[in-house]
Amino acid sequence: MHIQTNTNGRTLILAVLLPIFLSLCAPAFSQDEKKEQEEPQTEEETDEWFALQGGDIYTGTGAVLRGATVLSKNGTIDEIGYDLFIPEGAEVLDVSGYRVYPGLVAIESRGLFGGSSDLANSVDPFSKNMTLALAAGVTTARSGSEVAKLRAGHIDGLVLNSGILPRLSYSKSSPSGKRTLREKFEAASQYLRDYAQWQIDKKSDKELKEPSKKGIDSSILRYLRGEARPLFSASQRTDLLEIARLAQRFGFRPIIDGCQEGWIVADELGRAGASAILTARDRSSKGEQLVRAGGSSIENAAILHRAGVSVTIIPSSAGISLGGIVGRDLMHLTVEAGYAVRGGLSEKAALDSITIEPARLMGVSQRVGSIEVGKDADMIITDGDVLHYQTFVQWAVVAGEVVYDKQAELYFAHIRPRPEAALSPEERLDAGETPEEEIVEEAGDSDSPGEGNEEGDGEDHDEDDGDGGSRP
Amino acid sequence: MLIPLLLAWTPSPVPQEAPDLPDLYAIKASVLETGTGEVIEHAVLLVEGGKVITVGEDLVVERGIPVYELDPDQVVIPGLVNAYTRVGMTGSGQSGARPWQRASDELYPAAGDYSGVRETGVTTLGHYPSGNGIPGRCVVVRPKGSTASAMTIKDDAYLKVIMGSSKSAKDALSGGFKKADTWIAKEKKNKEKWDKAKEKFDKEKDKEKKAKLDPGPYKPLADDPSAASFMQLRDGSLKALISVRTAGDYLHLIDAIGEEEFTWDLRVVMTRDMNIYHVIEKVAKSGRRVVLEPEISLHPGTMRQRNLPAEFARAGTPVVLVPRSDSVAGFKAWRRHVGEIVASGLDRSTAMRAITLEPAALLGVDDQVGSLEAGKQANFVILSGDPFEPGTQVDAVILDGVLVSGEVNL
Repeated sequence: MHIQTNTNGRTLILAVLLPIFLSLCAPAFSQDEKKEQEEPQTEEETDEWFALQGGDIYTGTGAVLRGATVLSKNGTIDEIGYDLFIPEGAEVLDVSGYRVYPGLVAIESRGLFGGSSDLANSVDPFSKNMTLALAAGVTTARSGSEVAKLRAGHIDGLVLNSGILPRLSYSKSSPSGKRTLREKFEAASQYLRDYAQWQIDKKSDKELKEPSKKGIDSSILRYLRGEARPLFSASQRTDLLEIARLAQRFGFRPIIDGCQEGWIVADELGRAGASAILTARDRSSKGEQLVRAGGSSIENAAILHRAGVSVTIIPSSAGISLGGIVGRDLMHLTVEAGYAVRGGLSEKAALDSITIEPARLMGVSQRVGSIEVGKDADMIITDGDVLHYQTFVQWAVVAGEVVYDKQAELYFAHIRPRPEAALSPEERLDAGETPEEEIVEEAGDSDSPGEGNEEGDGEDHDEDDGDGGSRP
Repeated sequence: MLIPLLLAWTPSPVPQEAPDLPDLYAIKASVLETGTGEVIEHAVLLVEGGKVITVGEDLVVERGIPVYELDPDQVVIPGLVNAYTRVGMTGSGQSGARPWQRASDELYPAAGDYSGVRETGVTTLGHYPSGNGIPGRCVVVRPKGSTASAMTIKDDAYLKVIMGSSKSAKDALSGGFKKADTWIAKEKKNKEKWDKAKEKFDKEKDKEKKAKLDPGPYKPLADDPSAASFMQLRDGSLKALISVRTAGDYLHLIDAIGEEEFTWDLRVVMTRDMNIYHVIEKVAKSGRRVVLEPEISLHPGTMRQRNLPAEFARAGTPVVLVPRSDSVAGFKAWRRHVGEIVASGLDRSTAMRAITLEPAALLGVDDQVGSLEAGKQANFVILSGDPFEPGTQVDAVILDGVLVSGEVNL
């Protein structure tokens, strides 16, 4: 790894000049003013700067900046661009020749955090699954009703939002459930109309009573007011149509999980402002007697997206599975998105479907999902197109800290090792090649990739990075 | 019916009375390890009244003092200290926070295990109460004596706390301190109330009225045993041994402790593939001791071996090693297992310290046992060879200057 601590000439000069300047001005300051001068200085000392230098930055929501730098301060992106001023003491990771993408967002996950519910108190920030998910580029994931960051090695700053994606059921398999839900929506929308009318009327008649909230489902009120979006699970055409109609009738935007036959009713879903959570490779055949279109389609994501439905992609299994058929678990989130591209979805939309779209659905798009100033410094650095199946995540950065380094973890270090890693065998983690003691110590270091590796990496690697790593 | 009777009739083997050592005697050994890391060759150990008078190289022994000259192969080491054991104790504990509970209340001096323990060269034991959550307080005993008080060296050596990655485990610790705070607040109110009444009483001049207002002597609130334990932790009269299984547990522990300051050491439960190595640096910085088994573990998800005790020691953490299995057989294999991790990287003198002086320090009895130094109890073991060689036998065990197992020849 080649993280360096920046020693900037300019800051050195500043550091020399500033005290002189201050001492000259000192007599002019009253005591209070002096204090004010000192405080920001001490704050500055605790600031943690991190710079990703020289990579091609795929911002997600904006342009691609080739060979640019992302500078983060205390875990938040501070500046993106060229020739940035890197503060002294900043941690610098040279990623020239690599690509920088926003950390991927998984709208569903199982077993990444090691704990059950109440992640803040039960998370295992060193769990193997968390590392493997980071190796797959996932830096944010939903677990139950919480959405949290994969901040390996930390138990704080984890949970971004909770109580997300409230579920509703509206399916032809339960006609009575459908009726009850419809009645709830009717009551809630009636209440909203009454309330609006009351607000007008009370100007003329101040005695007028506020309409009663009794019997009104408060969560449905939130959907109707646009404060939250309900999640439905539906895959069949009829159910999808019914949900679209319900949404249009009452004026809310549904999120539909599954959505296998969405491509057949894409226009209706688009008009209803729906969002779809789907698995690009879902397979189901239509009933033999059906004349109309039915079943799954590889073009599902593309057709829905064209019709204005925002698409979020998730593999068929949201856990990390190291056995069975490869390519269907969360470690292959990007592969799943790649299949949507195979079905006609644009690459841009495919990237969105695993970054900003799921972030929006979970109400965390102000923090994660794209590389923008002010957002969390959650990024992945890859050796190629993130949607390509041969691409490896080389580093994952969460909150301005390297939490995954391919060469430092055992899982993928041996496959296409980074060139600079090949040059320094003591950096490698191959068992049996180095004496026991050294391995042990080395592995100990590797667990805190952010620290301790500053020394000795400098000269060897700088030239090799120019080769562009090993891109597929 | 017949079989038990037959068994009862079988003559029990006559207990071999170990020949008593005199009150004052000297041991001459070609090698003596003091437990502090020092190895003395041609050592002389002078014992009187169950205590070490002096120990040194080639000391001249006064004429008339019986001298036991050991074989050239034999090695003397301090009596081993196992700070974390329940051998000799029975029963299972309860769950939940019971910080007032004492292991000393369940001592059973007649337990047959103690004679087995003596034979293995272990001369000091730290018994902890069983159970989950916060099971209670440890007692330090010698494996000898017919009554609990004769066995006991020190009570309330540490408070055992089990930490996990769960809200309930974290709350047991942080909630305990909160309980202490509540009790202190209540007590303060109680005192204020009494103070006010007293003031009123003092100001009143009318005698009749005064008699009615008399608040009597001050009565403090009844002790809350749970709150009291946490207050003891705070004032330093009690320390904690906190058990964790994963690196995540350790972070949650630090989170649960928060701003609270008290003395604690760390117990790491070794498993086949564990990830505690993630926090080795952090533990080293905190300056806590770590108690763990001499076990080679595997890097999670791989077959690569890791010597975690050695990694802890190298990072600067004082290491306490306990037998892999908490049984007499486990005690017997203890030195051999420590030898295995010495062979794969643990510093040898650290290893010796980790089974003698360091556990004694953990138990707070390092002023009495744990090493062979002047003034300490004469607890030592005579081995047939190097302590960490697999074939080495225990030839004799001396506890408080008295031979309790094996024999020593003049």
